[in-house]
Amino acid sequence: MKANTGKIIDVDLSRGAITIDELPEEYYTKYIGGSGLAAKIFWERGNFEAEPLSPEAMLIFMNGPFAGLKLSGVSRHSTAGRSPLTGGWGDSSCGGYFAPELRYAGYDGLVITGKSEKPSLLLIEDDKVKILDAAEYWGKGATDVNEALKERFGKAYRTLVIGPAGENLVKYSVILNEGHHATGRAGFGAIMGSKNLKAIVLKASKKTMTLADPEKAEALRKDLNPRIKEALASEVLHENGTAANLIGGMYAGDVPIRNWTSNFWEEAAEDLTGSTLTETYLTRRSSCAFCGIACKRVVEVKDGPWAVPEGPGPEYETIVSFGTLIGSIDLAATCKAGRVCNNLGIDTISAGGTIAWAMEAFEKGDLTLEDTGGIELKWGDMDTVINKVVPLIAAREGKLGELLAEGSAAAAKKIGKGADYTVHAKGLEAPMHDPRGGGHGLALTYAVGARGACHVADPMLFAEMGARYYPEIGFEYELEPMTDENKAEAAVTIIAIGGLENSSCFCQFADAEVTIPDWIELFNTVPGYGWDAEEMLRAGRRVFYLKRLINFRFGRTADDDTLTKRMLEPARDGEPEGIEINFEGMKARFYELTKMDPVKAIPVKEVLEEYGMGDEAGVVW
Amino acid sequence: MEYWKDANEPIEAFVKLFEKGFKDPDLSGGLKKVNQLIWFDYTQDGPDCSFWVDCRGGELKTGPGKPDDEPNLTMSLSADDAHRSWSNKLNPVMAITRKKIRVKGSATGLLKLAPKLKKVAVLYVETLKELGRDDIIL
Repeated sequence: MKANTGKIIDVDLSRGAITIDELPEEYYTKYIGGSGLAAKIFWERGNFEAEPLSPEAMLIFMNGPFAGLKLSGVSRHSTAGRSPLTGGWGDSSCGGYFAPELRYAGYDGLVITGKSEKPSLLLIEDDKVKILDAAEYWGKGATDVNEALKERFGKAYRTLVIGPAGENLVKYSVILNEGHHATGRAGFGAIMGSKNLKAIVLKASKKTMTLADPEKAEALRKDLNPRIKEALASEVLHENGTAANLIGGMYAGDVPIRNWTSNFWEEAAEDLTGSTLTETYLTRRSSCAFCGIACKRVVEVKDGPWAVPEGPGPEYETIVSFGTLIGSIDLAATCKAGRVCNNLGIDTISAGGTIAWAMEAFEKGDLTLEDTGGIELKWGDMDTVINKVVPLIAAREGKLGELLAEGSAAAAKKIGKGADYTVHAKGLEAPMHDPRGGGHGLALTYAVGARGACHVADPMLFAEMGARYYPEIGFEYELEPMTDENKAEAAVTIIAIGGLENSSCFCQFADAEVTIPDWIELFNTVPGYGWDAEEMLRAGRRVFYLKRLINFRFGRTADDDTLTKRMLEPARDGEPEGIEINFEGMKARFYELTKMDPVKAIPVKEVLEEYGMGDEAGVVW
Repeated sequence: MEYWKDANEPIEAFVKLFEKGFKDPDLSGGLKKVNQLIWFDYTQDGPDCSFWVDCRGGELKTGPGKPDDEPNLTMSLSADDAHRSWSNKLNPVMAITRKKIRVKGSATGLLKLAPKLKKVAVLYVETLKELGRDDIIL
């Protein structure tokens, strides 16, 4: 096996023990890398009884097989474990610069258990791995600590850092690479915080990796890079960022407004779309390592209440979650909110979703001034959101901060009201794509996704837009977004592609240009897996299945493959107004096609055996 | 061609469609924001089968053939797919993914027009009726 090093760093923070483990090659050829390989490691070594924030909990960082290759879109890594937000399987993909550096240092990943007695950081310099004291950084912002670490160790060192929210065990806290590339979803910042681990700092002395077939891999890389860069979607993303098509999404009914009570806000379409950000606050563009798309924004808001110095700008998810979702069309405020959330170490999607829920609860009288500590929660009141609510959440301060730090599903449960208008699957707040307008297939994949409502677990969102076409494997569906037609059928392939994407840690924006023959060529010339199309797709689907088995062992069943009432009620306005989603029909058909048990929500024993998962089947059947 | 008798017929319809669009305040406002010279290239259906729309400098113009200036954006497709597109019966993203539409140049401005395709389709139906081509209305 090439590209992958086969080595992971195993850290037990309780004992201060560091070992280098070698993984069996079969783990890679069966589970690819990234979140798939992390799931396999968790399956084999994880403590299924351990609470996510207990010392026994396992936190996994894992590269994909292409990390280190100078190819657009592959410089991502996956973080995984049991999510403190949902209690189920969680994984989160992060771009930036950590993944290639880890590969060059000689490792495919890290597995961290235990709890350090005092605040600590992990320093990795090739084969030297040390646990250092980090008391001086504890309590400080993630962005600030990133800068301090760069000053101490050098600019070439790559960092993963948590903010105060992670230290305070906010259930949706993030881990940031280079101070702004976020491991955003599922609350892994809180796991780092629970282990007293403030940061991981990394530098490799050499920048090389091995390849199974260097000549062919290089030829493919040279072919793919310009194709990815010059694709229409890439040019649009480069020009106007991930919010480039917010305007189109608004007219389609894809953009959630005021806690998903509306699907159309004409003024917001123009005010918040990517080209407006370009024309107002953009100073330059930036990228993850080796990526020619460069969809990242660098912005400066020169004056006004939301003035921010030049620095990382908001992506689509932040623009909507701190925009229309909470009743605001103030683009400058989203720039500020993104910066504040980064430094505090909070996921903007879950934060926006939880605050939007709280605003509706306050409007309905389900949350009172007594519950909020005297804070009025009003749609679009960005001053209160940015200057009061978000800091209270990060600090778990006061009744409101303590309540909202748990996320919307737990908060509704705690007050015994408002569950009907939460917006999540399996406890993970939904991203800023409303399946009622964005596509009914998205409702299905939100519900059956292992970590909960997620638009990047698989490419269903893109498939329903018409941007996924794999004729070599018969995926030629012309999907109409606002129907259930062929959605379950498409999902069978889509989850396999999602397994490939998230296990190879390939960015969905970049891999849109990667054809099935390209994927096979990449796997065969970079790590040398020796696959054909069938074996490759089986690996992708196997990853999906394994995550379901893990969730089953956490007590999840078919009842958990669902969406909340608010998400399934017909839209009240906009393009999708009045249209029902045939959710149960799609779900039943998907279970049938994937031969999943209708109660346990895992594949039947025969399917698991067919996928080479006989040992796993023995545990669950 | 499935819908057109000759290469001149679609161009006449499309130029007329844009001339109508220029008179619509909403569409003309949107087109001015695009601020590009666009060449709609259907030459796969005949050397003269193309037209241009000039949205630069706050003025709107259109005409048959290739523009004299170098276009900022070229969209190449068949005249039949163009008919489906102006009828709002062709998913542009899907068409681009399947290489039915090839784009050269920056299409970011056109994204702003995407929400207005429904309105364009209404004008297109009117145009086809005026040209006596009710038979190809989709």
